Amino acid sequence: MAALGATVIRAGRRFLSSLPALFGVLVFTFLLMRVLPGDPAVFFASGPNAGKEEIEVIRKQMGLDKPVPEQLMLYLYDVGSGNLGRSMMTGQMVTKDLRERLPASLELTFTALLIALVTAVPLGVLAALRPGSIIDHGVRFFCALGVCVPTFVSGLLLIYVFYYLLGLAPDPTGRVDIFASLPPRQTGFLLIDFLLAGDFDGWWAAFRQLILPALSMALFVVAPLARITRASMLVSLGSDFVRTARSVGLPWWRVVVTYALRNAILPVITIAGIVFSTMLGANVLVEKVFSWPGVASYALDALLSSDYAPVQGFVLLMATVFVIVNLLVDILYGIADPRVTIG
Amino acid sequence: MSVTGSRRLLSVVAFIAVSLAAGSVQAQTRAETLRYVTGASVNTLDPNIPGSTREAFAVSLSTYDRLVSFGRKQLNGKWVFDLGKITGELAESYEVSPDGLKMTFRLRKDAKFQDGSPVTAEDVKWSLDRVVTAPVLGKAQLLTGSMTSADQFKVIDPLTIEVTLPKPDKLALPNLATVYPIIFNSKVAKEHTTADDPWALAWLKENTAGSGAYKIETFKPGEQVIMARNTAWDRGTADKSAFFKRVIVQSVPEPATRANLVERGDADLVIDLQASDVQSLEAKGKLKVISTPQYNAVTFISMNNQIPPFDNVNVRRAVAFALPYDDMFKAALFGRGSPLFGATWTDGKPTSGAYPIAQPVKLDLEKAKEYLKAAGMPDGFSTTFSFNVGQASTAEPMAALVKESLAKIGIKVDIQKLPDAQMSTQINEKKLPFFTEGIVAWLPSTDYFYRNFYTGNQRWNYSSINNPELVEIAQKARFEPDAAKYEEDGLKLNAIHFSELPQIPLWQPSQDAVMASSVEGYTYQFHRQVDYRDLNRK
Repeated sequence: MAALGATVIRAGRRFLSSLPALFGVLVFTFLLMRVLPGDPAVFFASGPNAGKEEIEVIRKQMGLDKPVPEQLMLYLYDVGSGNLGRSMMTGQMVTKDLRERLPASLELTFTALLIALVTAVPLGVLAALRPGSIIDHGVRFFCALGVCVPTFVSGLLLIYVFYYLLGLAPDPTGRVDIFASLPPRQTGFLLIDFLLAGDFDGWWAAFRQLILPALSMALFVVAPLARITRASMLVSLGSDFVRTARSVGLPWWRVVVTYALRNAILPVITIAGIVFSTMLGANVLVEKVFSWPGVASYALDALLSSDYAPVQGFVLLMATVFVIVNLLVDILYGIADPRVTIG
Repeated sequence: MSVTGSRRLLSVVAFIAVSLAAGSVQAQTRAETLRYVTGASVNTLDPNIPGSTREAFAVSLSTYDRLVSFGRKQLNGKWVFDLGKITGELAESYEVSPDGLKMTFRLRKDAKFQDGSPVTAEDVKWSLDRVVTAPVLGKAQLLTGSMTSADQFKVIDPLTIEVTLPKPDKLALPNLATVYPIIFNSKVAKEHTTADDPWALAWLKENTAGSGAYKIETFKPGEQVIMARNTAWDRGTADKSAFFKRVIVQSVPEPATRANLVERGDADLVIDLQASDVQSLEAKGKLKVISTPQYNAVTFISMNNQIPPFDNVNVRRAVAFALPYDDMFKAALFGRGSPLFGATWTDGKPTSGAYPIAQPVKLDLEKAKEYLKAAGMPDGFSTTFSFNVGQASTAEPMAALVKESLAKIGIKVDIQKLPDAQMSTQINEKKLPFFTEGIVAWLPSTDYFYRNFYTGNQRWNYSSINNPELVEIAQKARFEPDAAKYEEDGLKLNAIHFSELPQIPLWQPSQDAVMASSVEGYTYQFHRQVDYRDLNRK
């Protein structure tokens, strides 16, 4: 219990120490958006007959009529009071947009990461147990395939086969069948909300909708996870303690799982953390292909139309997620290997 | 078979029967629902808000009524909106005074807002005042119909409203049929005004207060809008409410997915597919494909007439004769649209006073070289050709062909693919020498096109042309009541256009609407969206 308390305190301290970095990200993104070419006011005033006057109205609405330092101060003040500004694209507050969309992205990414881990770790272990064998080459081939096929290609292929040809998958748009009713929003994670509402048909519908996008995302990240598992398993299998465990006649699975894998898992956790953070933001193509209402596709649309507030809000969100994930990874380290403490 | 076994079998049969019945109930609701998928998204419920998308226009016209709307006519066997026929929507009747300075609208006695209150002339006045006073998009639009001030709208009695004009203007009445002058329930709207926002812009962006055929059920910007039928609305065909009980407007960014959805029968209607997908869907013959040339739109290649070397008319002519029109048309649109090249003008005179008309240009490299020589640049020059990312699917193959063909006469072209916001900015600042763009006019009359796209130092004058004669004729034609004289002005304008060649019109792309074979009533509308009220299922 005391150890847990200490961990929480340390984690809190770690989080506080990352605040300056978050602040830096905030200011940097703000300035970056303003040096990018493209005037958002002109873009949003692109309706027929929109002239100089309309452009000025929008510029004022977006607060672009003030000098940049003043804009920055106003922006920092707003962020400090929990206001990330308003999106011109959707017309809503950025915080509201992100709050609605983040669970969609998280649900998809968690599922994809779970699928990837469940596939990659056993594959990596298998490959490490028989290095150079047919299995090892098979795993290598599978990984190469996963990495070299871009996610939107695998996504479109999966749609073509499972939806268009076979008719097994539901139509690949959004998180749930458009004719279905949504559960009352509790967490924003549909799989959890449907369970809380006791609606199992709904849960099944949402689950079916989730499979294809999660698979196409998972395919892409199986490779790094499997490779790192294989490499660190090889090291750990060749180490003294495994040889000792073998020599005392322990059953092979006990040697592999308890002795080798537990020691080999640290780098896998690190990579999984990094993979998770990148997937969350970088899988915009999957979100586009499956019309998934997530944060990544939202940020891309905003970027293309130079809609400043959502892009800034998104980058801040991603930075925060990255900090939290790193923190979680550190805590998991401590569980996997008690010698590690976070400081 | 044991007793329990047969009972189990019975319950299985019963279960299947029940689920089949449930299935047919669901199928029924689907038949009464229209699912429309699109690449763009609805971002506001009030089309007047700066930045509103085309999809938003279609939704607004279903939730709000205007005073008047366009009728429809057949063009090559397809229904299109008819600019020449204006019918009452909220107005039961209207009359224009003989001198053209007064328009009087009598409202329908039975028209009600969705909250049940009657539509009055006060509501109409508030709505029109808002369009010309508030900082909204409608302001600039109504300006093109000589409506600029709230003083011009007068309530005569609770059901009559009068609009006065400073000059007789052909475009005044049609302007009231565009998407901006929709009629709001002023009592509801006024409840949501604030000191900073006297016209309830913020509230109406996310809420509706109209009298239209549909009510908003859910509105998720960027994802979907679901609308339910307003049964009290009776202004549809043959005086009845709209056909579909529900309309789902859903954003599906990936065009291939949209094509799959409509082909599998999960979506009923889609308009913005890739030309190649439309072609293959049409070839399969399972779906209904209605292709209408967008007769109020033009795609062109523009040259900046103020920047060398394009300030030299001979350079512009050289480019016009060095473009591989047929190949471009096939590569960009698979030939889906109506070409604006390869015409024959006898005696070199335009054949019609309409805009746009096909130009007498075709690929002729010898002629192009002569023009280059006349311009004093026999060895050619280097330039950039720009297009925006949003139009990449058609512009990219086109740009490659332009580059290849111009290289043959010594013009070196560097292709520039710009993000949409950047392209708009550069166009606005008049910095692009050579690029492709598309234009659309809601009210496609010759003078409107020329005034908006070929005069002044404003953004829509893409080629930055400054020709005093053109300006004068275009301004005069606006108020020309005599049809024969108007046609003459149009001929003059078209002749100036060809002699100056500020930009090269290429084609009018088709609007390809792909729909389930059961969907009927599709009409090509001025806003290039689907008017859901037109549709029904047989």
